[in-house]
Amino acid sequence: MSAGYIQISLWQLGLALGLVGVAGISSVLFELRLQKDLALGTLRTFAQLFAMGYLLKIIFNLNNALLVMGVYLCMTYFSIRIIRGRVREKNVDYFAPTMVSVMVSYTLVTFIVTGIIIGAKPWWTPQYFIPIGGMVAGNSMNALAIGLERFFAELRGKAGQVEMMLCLGADYREASREMFRNALKAGMIPSINSMMGVGIVSIPGMMTGQILAGADPADAVRYQIVVMLMIVAATALSSLIVLYLVRRRCFGSAMNLLLRS
Amino acid sequence: METLIDFCTVSYSWPGGKGLREVQFCVPRGGLALISGPSGAGKSTLLRLAARLEEPAAGVIRFAGRALADYAPPQLRRRMGYIQQTPVVVEGSVRENLLLPFAFAVNREMPVPDDAALQGWLDRLALTQVRLDDVAAALSVGQKQRLCIIRSLLLQPELLLMDEPTSALDRVSRSIVEGMMETLNAEGMTLMVVSHSDFRPAVAHSMLMVDEGRVEEVA
Repeated sequence: MSAGYIQISLWQLGLALGLVGVAGISSVLFELRLQKDLALGTLRTFAQLFAMGYLLKIIFNLNNALLVMGVYLCMTYFSIRIIRGRVREKNVDYFAPTMVSVMVSYTLVTFIVTGIIIGAKPWWTPQYFIPIGGMVAGNSMNALAIGLERFFAELRGKAGQVEMMLCLGADYREASREMFRNALKAGMIPSINSMMGVGIVSIPGMMTGQILAGADPADAVRYQIVVMLMIVAATALSSLIVLYLVRRRCFGSAMNLLLRS
Repeated sequence: METLIDFCTVSYSWPGGKGLREVQFCVPRGGLALISGPSGAGKSTLLRLAARLEEPAAGVIRFAGRALADYAPPQLRRRMGYIQQTPVVVEGSVRENLLLPFAFAVNREMPVPDDAALQGWLDRLALTQVRLDDVAAALSVGQKQRLCIIRSLLLQPELLLMDEPTSALDRVSRSIVEGMMETLNAEGMTLMVVSHSDFRPAVAHSMLMVDEGRVEEVA
């Protein structure tokens, strides 16, 4: 098969194994005891990525909307699970708000990018919708986890301030405004910071991939800009929705704070 | 005399089983109720229940003849001042702290006091050396506590809930705050005061002893 890039054959892939061998030798020489993890990690990298590659090939060939949505739902489900694993709060159930936030923000942003900005026809075209959706999910789940963790920590740490405001007649939104803003900001800052360093500190992964695949760097740049902007949008939207929904759950029916320091 | 706050067979449970059992007492309008008892007995919880910062497991609390649940929480709380044991000030000046409640939707109809009125309040609580532009966080604990009392009083509450308001204060601040409590009560303000100290006002309408989950009226 001819392609606009140099394909990696299986024996060349085997050669690349030599690279991980360097790490293995270091582990043996310095008694780091990482050989087992290195071996398992390498095996999983091969297995998981080959499985994904073949799965994507099948999905691309079938070109079926339901199948694309199924894969997309799986990605969002796993991102919710990862968020739950990172946020330690046990007293407030934030699963449903996270699900609503993830579904609304990821779907909206991914649809806008594939259907309107890139203009894929149909909008769910798998080679656009799945990688774009994956990038949205992968990046904004970090923002959600950081934002939620910060919000709960601030509410607990500033419980006295929240109750002071409640007792002066504030409603729960007014009493938690500062914590809400701080959490929203904490969630959004990493994606904004990554816009500052992009192209100076690193060549982003998606752009690198496109360049290696033979795309004109000028075209790859345009895609990368869209990706960076959509991540900022997804981060802001998902953090805003989840914090808006979770905040109400931190207060009882009497607008009394349910979290304690 | 009209009853301002009325606890009717109120029970409350903390996680772990302990709590308050069938608490029954009332405080008349203009009254002063002193609440005492051992640590962890639930004295502060009584005040928190009155302000709906906690919800009872059973029973009803009435304020001015209506169950607490009949009021919108901000409407109820703005009619009660709640002075926490540890004073809490927000970032900013003394003025910004004093005017903080007027930014809340429920208080927007109220006239905002001018600088002269605020300075008058500072003088009244022996904070003459404190300027409105001073940074609130830099005040001493005793000064912060008095600032918190003024902040509550600016809303003209009908009931003042005070949770060991003098426990963190030095002797001078303590006597100023205790004197203020007596003056306010003499002017008609209803007070519920949790106190560990030997604060014994000349006129206390009731003394409530909290122990073993029960509340007993001792005087």
